Amino acid sequence: MPAQNVPIWEFVSVTKSYPGVVANDQINIRLFEGSIHGLLGENGCGKSTLIKMLSGVQQPDSGKILHKGQEAKISDPLDARTKGIATVFQEFSIVPSLSVGENIFLGNMPTSKFGSIDWKKIHDGGKKVLESIGVDISTEAIAGELSVGEQQLVEIAKAVAINAKMIILDEPTAALGEQEIERLHQLLRRMRDKGIAILYVSHRLDEVERIVDEVTILRGGKVVRASGETEIDVQEIVFAMVGSNLGEHYPKEKNFTDNVIFEAQNLKTSKGIENVSFYVKEGEVFGLGGVLGSGRTEIAHALFGVDKLLDGKITLNGKVVNIQNERDAILGGLALIPENRKFDGLFFNFRASGNITAASLDSLSRFGILDLKREKLTTERLISQLEISTQAEEKTVNFLSGGNQQKIVIARWLFSNAQVLIMDEPTQGIDIGAKIAVYRLINNLTRQGKAIILISSDHDELLAMSDRIAIVRQGSVSNIVQASKLTHDDLVRASTEVVHKNELEKFI
Amino acid sequence: MRRVFDSQLIGPFAAMLIVALFVAFTTERFLSPGNLSNLSLQVSIVALIAIGSTIVIFAAGIDLSSGSMVALLTMILAQLLKFVGIPLFAALPLILLMGGFLGLVLGIISAYGRIPSFITTLAALIAFRGLALTFNNGSPIFSLDPLLEPVFYGKFLGIPLPFFYLVFLYSFAAFLMNFTKLGREIYAVGGNPAAAILTGINVRKVQALTFAIAGFMTAVGAILMSARLNSGSPNYGQTLELQAIAAAVVGGASLAGGRGNILATLMGAMTIVIVSNGLNLNAVPSSVQNIVLGIIILLAVGIDMWRAEISSLLSRRFKKKDPDISTKTQSSEKNDSEN
Repeated sequence: MPAQNVPIWEFVSVTKSYPGVVANDQINIRLFEGSIHGLLGENGCGKSTLIKMLSGVQQPDSGKILHKGQEAKISDPLDARTKGIATVFQEFSIVPSLSVGENIFLGNMPTSKFGSIDWKKIHDGGKKVLESIGVDISTEAIAGELSVGEQQLVEIAKAVAINAKMIILDEPTAALGEQEIERLHQLLRRMRDKGIAILYVSHRLDEVERIVDEVTILRGGKVVRASGETEIDVQEIVFAMVGSNLGEHYPKEKNFTDNVIFEAQNLKTSKGIENVSFYVKEGEVFGLGGVLGSGRTEIAHALFGVDKLLDGKITLNGKVVNIQNERDAILGGLALIPENRKFDGLFFNFRASGNITAASLDSLSRFGILDLKREKLTTERLISQLEISTQAEEKTVNFLSGGNQQKIVIARWLFSNAQVLIMDEPTQGIDIGAKIAVYRLINNLTRQGKAIILISSDHDELLAMSDRIAIVRQGSVSNIVQASKLTHDDLVRASTEVVHKNELEKFI
Repeated sequence: MRRVFDSQLIGPFAAMLIVALFVAFTTERFLSPGNLSNLSLQVSIVALIAIGSTIVIFAAGIDLSSGSMVALLTMILAQLLKFVGIPLFAALPLILLMGGFLGLVLGIISAYGRIPSFITTLAALIAFRGLALTFNNGSPIFSLDPLLEPVFYGKFLGIPLPFFYLVFLYSFAAFLMNFTKLGREIYAVGGNPAAAILTGINVRKVQALTFAIAGFMTAVGAILMSARLNSGSPNYGQTLELQAIAAAVVGGASLAGGRGNILATLMGAMTIVIVSNGLNLNAVPSSVQNIVLGIIILLAVGIDMWRAEISSLLSRRFKKKDPDISTKTQSSEKNDSEN
């Protein structure tokens, strides 16, 4: 390892405040070459502010930034780049219509004497960069056609192309499957070994253990734990982040009865779903596990009428229902809380009320005229019942936090009186406080006898909150087991391993 | 009701008021009863057609066909009255139905045929004008019916009839958008079509219906146009579709869909008409009037787009620093987890 004594970048009691909030309060952090430094904390703890100062987007109010021991100023993002700092933000800055080569050199395109683009340099240079980090993607591939994981590798290649000595990764695995995460981690380890400093921002604790050399934890804008050790203990991290421990983290209640209210038999769709059969009992949480792209979301779409069924039948309360489209599904008592609430869930032009009643306009209206008084009362009741921010009815919902937004989407289906709720990644991108609120809501629903089909990439969450779990692989359900009989490792192995002849042996 | 008269009306109303005050102070004849009554006649046709254009925009579509549809419908009306010999009381409802039907057809082509409404109605803009020219060898038809003119020039209690049409149809539109299921669905479809599908809204049907409403409103405009000159002409309604869209935009309707207040479109239409009336009274040539109209449209959208910058510029005079958006969400999330 290169010299560890002088950090490449160091913050010395850096403070940054906005009206009403001190976002970063006397932060100290030391980033070393050849080390992966984890930056952890809940939403709103000040992680983003810290990253912004390091990437030149914002300036500290007070405190010092040191570059190799010398006081330095990062005046803007371009300055950060010339000083060797590259940031891979959660929302990529990839241009989907351009080739991988063009994306790698975006912003500093090699040109010929006459100012036209030097394609040879783009492809040869791009190839060299990709080879140097061991990534096997063609420079001629169109970036938008790559998987999310591959796009991220291209983002990192961009950082390598500008010869970055310090790479900041903001929630790099939020959209990645298990295998892609592993691939990313391998790449990061290789880069670390080449002496690059990496700042790894995440709130997925399970990976932190696997990848990070040292860790800094923020809470309320302050550093609550800085460690130079290689031993990183998840239990301890959670405690530092939220000030509570894992037990409270998953307030699971068992509310299921023996009464089967939902059954899917031999479902098949054109989106690769085949032979999917399972049942869900009243008050039960039925988990669907599996890697990204295994077909979990497609199963949800098959149940909800988004994708047409080619074969199979769905039974609700003992009656076979014919679901041709989303409307049939909703009338039958199903609900879908989509994976991406921003794109598929919320109406950002509405306040809470319009969002909550959107799926129940039929029952809210008589002869086509809305009962606005009932809408108002219902919204008020649900806002207080689900502890949604009181701002929700004053402004359109784009002003709300992710947690409040998710609660509003769930409230929609409480109002529609759905019996079976399909929740696709219900806690993605919301902080731990809001996550716990969603778990309590799940308990609340199952207590009322509603059934929940839970899809989650967070293994701990899936294990803790489900009563039974089905592993989805290549579009079919391979195994249904009691959640209590599974461990985290079982789940990871079962969902990532290729289909095995001896299913049972491997699984339990 | 907070929803009908909400804050979205303040800006367009203020703009209209400022323009009206400016013209009133600079132009003597502006406030004369004769001019005001003339003003309400002038604004009526574009403001009525703008109801439809705005509702289409609310559902994230655009209707470019209305100007040509006006020409087509005035020619059909003239044909019916003059050559087919259908009485006025039967011909007028027929034209209204026909407008609604033509709009519905465009809506169905666009929504179910998955052809963007910009293209569908652009094609209709060209084709309807051509269709209008196939009647009477492309010549205007005059002196349609002595009872037609009072539809436009008639008065009730000394107030021109078009004023009542405006009040009635804008009230109807405000009711539709704010109190009915269809109105809510239109906003939902414009706001987020993907989410609308997943909440069981029949997105295509809603989109098609907005064009039917627009066609109906265009037919009302066509009848008034015919009545005004007691004639039908294939040349009527040129650029009327753009004026109607301009009224919607000046009224603050977002072309991305889902946002806006239908009553603000009336303010938008009045702003535009007051400006051109003021310029007319001061004998400004129509070439300059068009340039001014162009600038008004840019300013209306610009002020909307630069709202954040303008307010931060204003608040900077009182505060030292301004939080950026991302930290705002951060701090609100912080409040959230504290709850």
